[in-house]
Amino acid sequence: MKRERVAVGIDGGSTAAKAVRFDGRNILASKIVDAQDFQSLRSMVKPGDIVCSTGYFRRKIKHDHTITEISAARLGVGWHFDDTDVIIDLGGQDTKVIDLRHHALHMNDKCSAGTGAFLEQAARYFGTDPKGLAALASKAKRKADINSTCSVFALSEMISKMERGHTKSEVAAGLHHAFARRIAELVPAAERYVAVGGVALNPMMIKELGELLGRRIRVPEQAQIINALGAALHAISQ
Amino acid sequence: MKHRKVAGMTALVPPEVIYASGWSARDVNNGIPCSDCRPRSKLCAWTAGWREEIFAGNLRLDALVVVAGGDCHNALADGQNAARKVDRAHFLFYPFDGDVDYMRGQLDRLTKFLTKGSSPPKGQKKLMSQIEELKGMGRDVERARSEGRIDPALAFRTLISFSDFEGDVARFRDKVINVLDKRESGGRQEDDMKGLDRKPRVALIGVPPIYRDFHAVCAEAGLHAVFDELPHEFVRLGGSDIEELAKSYSTYTFARPVDYRLEALKKDLDRHDIDGIIHYTQFTCHHLLEDGMLREKLKWPMLTLQGDLPGETPAQIRMRLEAFAEMLGGNRPKKKVNG
Repeated sequence: MKRERVAVGIDGGSTAAKAVRFDGRNILASKIVDAQDFQSLRSMVKPGDIVCSTGYFRRKIKHDHTITEISAARLGVGWHFDDTDVIIDLGGQDTKVIDLRHHALHMNDKCSAGTGAFLEQAARYFGTDPKGLAALASKAKRKADINSTCSVFALSEMISKMERGHTKSEVAAGLHHAFARRIAELVPAAERYVAVGGVALNPMMIKELGELLGRRIRVPEQAQIINALGAALHAISQ
Repeated sequence: MKHRKVAGMTALVPPEVIYASGWSARDVNNGIPCSDCRPRSKLCAWTAGWREEIFAGNLRLDALVVVAGGDCHNALADGQNAARKVDRAHFLFYPFDGDVDYMRGQLDRLTKFLTKGSSPPKGQKKLMSQIEELKGMGRDVERARSEGRIDPALAFRTLISFSDFEGDVARFRDKVINVLDKRESGGRQEDDMKGLDRKPRVALIGVPPIYRDFHAVCAEAGLHAVFDELPHEFVRLGGSDIEELAKSYSTYTFARPVDYRLEALKKDLDRHDIDGIIHYTQFTCHHLLEDGMLREKLKWPMLTLQGDLPGETPAQIRMRLEAFAEMLGGNRPKKKVNG
């Protein structure tokens, strides 16, 4: 019996590496490891599988095909939703805004404001991780007003907010708002937004961003592996 | 060529006037991409880079001409700083409204500064004509590059040097002839161009990239860079006497209101049949503030990049270029254009 084509999409991202094994209809397996362990994801590849890599380390991964995260995001999101106007890919080192209507691409500038690194740094200060920071923020009844979008200055600003009597929760909520505001500056007006990437798993971020953009933001299942799925879809189509 | 005194320029200063006054020109920006300078205090690494080099006495300048306005606003501040370290300094102002008489007055003042009020050396007219002819060759390089007959990286290196002719008009002329004959490529020309002329055609606008390998990286990413805005001004502007120079340099687009620059850009970009635009700016560069206006008026897909310190193109910028190439699509039908 002829075996169906199976592809492995590997996304060697800057803070996490992801892989998806996919047969064209179903995700057979998926895995997420630390960015520096991206080579370990090759263990998911079985004889006869086609491999497509994407992400920062895509050229370091042995592959049959390779595509950028932009194409991978378009394909991966397209598998979930066929009516997307704008994809907001919230990564660890980059935020990419892909306007599918006009083939336009907007990205954060060279500093880390508006990337996952911003929240990670803030979370470390509170002795937690981004998930813990979001949980902390969700308890706040009001937000501390964080004006700085620079991750370095925002940290000193949040310290001063606490010195002035704001709670940890309020400061965490303010940080999420400041982060969302920075991203919203990159996003063009549209009707249908989809957010992907690790930061898209943060419900506080999606809530804040949705409020700022005035639209509901859809987040696909397993938002962190969308680019790996897109890479697998590309491999299948070749 | 007999020894001439060297006048540094912080941005575009009509090199015709400098050479015709018996001096040699040195654009202090041109060495920055290949330097390892890490300025202690900076906004833009271009201007802070040459400021530090001048402070350290590494450029051996006999005078410095600081440009006010033009393509860089940081240059005025860093230029004033650097001017304290050279024997003589002069400030050149471009007319924002394009007033030709004002430009003429500025060129006269520059000549007076360089010649200290004495008569310019003999052969001035002949030299001006030679430079005019040389600039025509620069426009040939632009055209050949747009038609895919010259590697974009080589074309850029050549065109950017039209700001100062690398200090020696005759020697630079020979170099340009070699480029036009494709002799300087050492046989790599065909390899460099392999398939590139069928890739998406992009124009680079804004300030020149501070990364020494940027054009090669563009090519690796699958983008055919067919036009550079600032070097285009270097070869577009010129004239064979002071009247013509005043008329021409008063149209220097970077020194004029942004709408004027946009109108000129639209015509240039149409002529080069581009698929997209790369708007390169520096971190903390005032040109970034123009990005919205450029996006609104120039109806091509646009990628905005922000560079910082000189060196090789960093991975983040490479990734953006690759993504932009993918956004613009793969190969395009081969087509001859009139650059």
